[in-house]
Amino acid sequence: MDRNTLRALASACALIPLTAPAADDLQALREEIAQLKKTYEARIAALEAKLKQVESPPAPAIQSSSPVTSKNAFNPQLSLILDGVYFRDNKKGASVEMFDMIDGINHSHGHQGHAHGQLERGFNLRETELAFSATVSPHFDAWAMMTVSDQGDVALEEAYFDTRSLPSGLTVRAGKFLSGIGYLNAQHPHQWDFVDQNLAYRTLLGEHGLSDTGLRLSWLPKTGSWYTQLGLELLQGKEQTFATSGLATPTSREDGAPLAATSAGALAAQKAGPRLTTLYAKLGPDLGANHALQFGGWLAHARQHQEVHDHTLEDPASPVQALEGKGRAWGLDAVWKYAAGGYGGQGDFKLVGEYLRLHKNLKIAFDEGGTQVGEKRDFVQDGLVLQGVYGFLPHWQAGLRYDATGLTKNEVRGPNGKLAEWNKSDRWTLALTKQIDHFSLFRLQFGRARLWNEGVEEKANQLYLQYQMSLGAHGAHSF
Amino acid sequence: MKRFALFLVLFWALPAWALEVVATTSSMGMLARSVGGPEVKVTELAPPDRDAHMLQAKPSMMRALRDADLLVAVGAELEVGWLPAALKGAANPNVLPGRPGYFEAAAQVALLDVGQAADRAQGDVHPAGNPHVNLDPARMAMIAQALAARMGQLDAAHAEHYRQRAQAFAQAVAEKTPAWRAKVAGSGGLVSFHKDAIYLTHFLGLPFLGTIEPVPGVAPTAAHLENLAAKLKGAKALIAHTPYQPPAGAETLARLTGLKMAVLPIDPPSGSDAADYFALIDRWVEALAAAK
Repeated sequence: MDRNTLRALASACALIPLTAPAADDLQALREEIAQLKKTYEARIAALEAKLKQVESPPAPAIQSSSPVTSKNAFNPQLSLILDGVYFRDNKKGASVEMFDMIDGINHSHGHQGHAHGQLERGFNLRETELAFSATVSPHFDAWAMMTVSDQGDVALEEAYFDTRSLPSGLTVRAGKFLSGIGYLNAQHPHQWDFVDQNLAYRTLLGEHGLSDTGLRLSWLPKTGSWYTQLGLELLQGKEQTFATSGLATPTSREDGAPLAATSAGALAAQKAGPRLTTLYAKLGPDLGANHALQFGGWLAHARQHQEVHDHTLEDPASPVQALEGKGRAWGLDAVWKYAAGGYGGQGDFKLVGEYLRLHKNLKIAFDEGGTQVGEKRDFVQDGLVLQGVYGFLPHWQAGLRYDATGLTKNEVRGPNGKLAEWNKSDRWTLALTKQIDHFSLFRLQFGRARLWNEGVEEKANQLYLQYQMSLGAHGAHSF
Repeated sequence: MKRFALFLVLFWALPAWALEVVATTSSMGMLARSVGGPEVKVTELAPPDRDAHMLQAKPSMMRALRDADLLVAVGAELEVGWLPAALKGAANPNVLPGRPGYFEAAAQVALLDVGQAADRAQGDVHPAGNPHVNLDPARMAMIAQALAARMGQLDAAHAEHYRQRAQAFAQAVAEKTPAWRAKVAGSGGLVSFHKDAIYLTHFLGLPFLGTIEPVPGVAPTAAHLENLAAKLKGAKALIAHTPYQPPAGAETLARLTGLKMAVLPIDPPSGSDAADYFALIDRWVEALAAAK
């Protein structure tokens, strides 16, 4: 309260009884009091407003950096994906094996890694994905994904950590992870627009694509309105189609017979890792709200690759050989997504195209015949996948895919030219997906493939009816 | 001459703004612009003509977030389907949740529908509370003041400017509120497609009568619409849906009840300022008033 105002009031009051008030004076006094009252009230109002203002400002800024979310209650976040298919084909179930035996440079030793529970005609429960993720500390995020087969076999698909506090657009990832090469490589099966892996990846990189243990450095440089990501991965080079090492020199044959006395040569010792290096770049212009476009290119180089060729079960006359040398692969990819803004994704489409090519520049290190040791063998094969998905009704998507392997090259060369050449295998696939809601979908897929097995053409038709259910804290999908 | 050239280089290299702000929606963009004024550059990620729940992370978002000093998100899991992925791809520690550069509007105010069971049989629920705070001008005024404090924390040199602009926004809301409330007085309330207008009815003191979708994220069914129509008998209410929501459910309900229907966006146009936002509230108020 204002002291002067009080004093004025007091003196005003004190004055009243002392002077014999004339009518004029009285009027003046009344006016003065009214005036004082007015200012006084205004001051009180102002002070009240000020008090209100001090009381009402929202909570201090520091406490509100953390998001309002229910997921914080769970650390780590868990998510589980159920994936089941009903499967039929026109080969009494044999088409599954035909896809495993496609003619190409990786054919004779395509059974590395864990077998993917062969599909049966009828009902199948495919691998259940179980993912854990959490922010470990202000500096790290971590992620692990396991798959459980219908027999209860557990496999660790990914387990890695990412840095979250490096400056200048840098991120480091370490552990076991799906490589950043290509567009489709880093996607888990539940993110696929089709039930199964495309032929190019399947035959050139393996059922799961390129996934290995190591280190990744990724960098987002400042490139104006363009998105640019550059990545360098140093990987162990373990059990990849073009990066495998640590194999033993053959000491026996698959058919059980002893190795011929003419056997000569040996595989070199395993080199220390990292044996596989990849480099990739992804570029995307800013095309506004409706369109998103990204181009990518990648290279992979394995400084040691070994393989053993033993066909004695099929042909006892064929000599056992072991080869070693370097593996190389490269690819180009492009993605275009259009968001129409319709309800339930109606009118949206996505186009993906990838080309990849695999080279193995090897020498015969061990030969049962003994005469070919040191001879070079150059393998090359390429593949392509083109796929599009269109939202033709709310929550309904139609997908069309063409995938091929051995597209323009599928051969092995020796010192005197081509030793063998295989045909192109390809396939057309149509898929119809109904997104029931955010967390569940049904998909009907029909594929017609022209496959080459041991030089024989097979026409395989496959029909799938799939469901996927996503349980728990399902994270956001990357682009 | 050399020094002059250096000056030129520095001049061109230095941005004309103090803070680079990325806003997830146009409502958040409007707030950032109203509070930040010429001291901030604002990029909006989600266009207002589509559902902010349903976006997908894309490279241009990562590009924008890469250089941001401040991210202004709605929060309460509205952007959970794409913002975490975009943030992960952006490799910018300054705008990660928990850092001063991460600002969530929903975290600054009390939310409605908090603590619903995290049961997905109830649809795509947000147990953290309803995130659609942007249609409540009073909450937006509080958020503006919190945003001003945050901008002032990041850019102390202009803290007073931010505070004053937020104050002006709150003042404008306070001045407009009596007219808005007077105009809709006597309205029977509102039915919307999704529960995205509940903060507006709350602000205006009107009843929120239900949603056209039976549970969040699930398409309307005939049975649900018939039940809703029975509930609405005699109410002088408005049926509203946004341009990106399908009209069929609202049309059926309008036919069953004879109530008026309006197509109204819940966010102002891209690049809006406070006046555009108030114009959006005016549109809702007009529509509600016309339906009484």
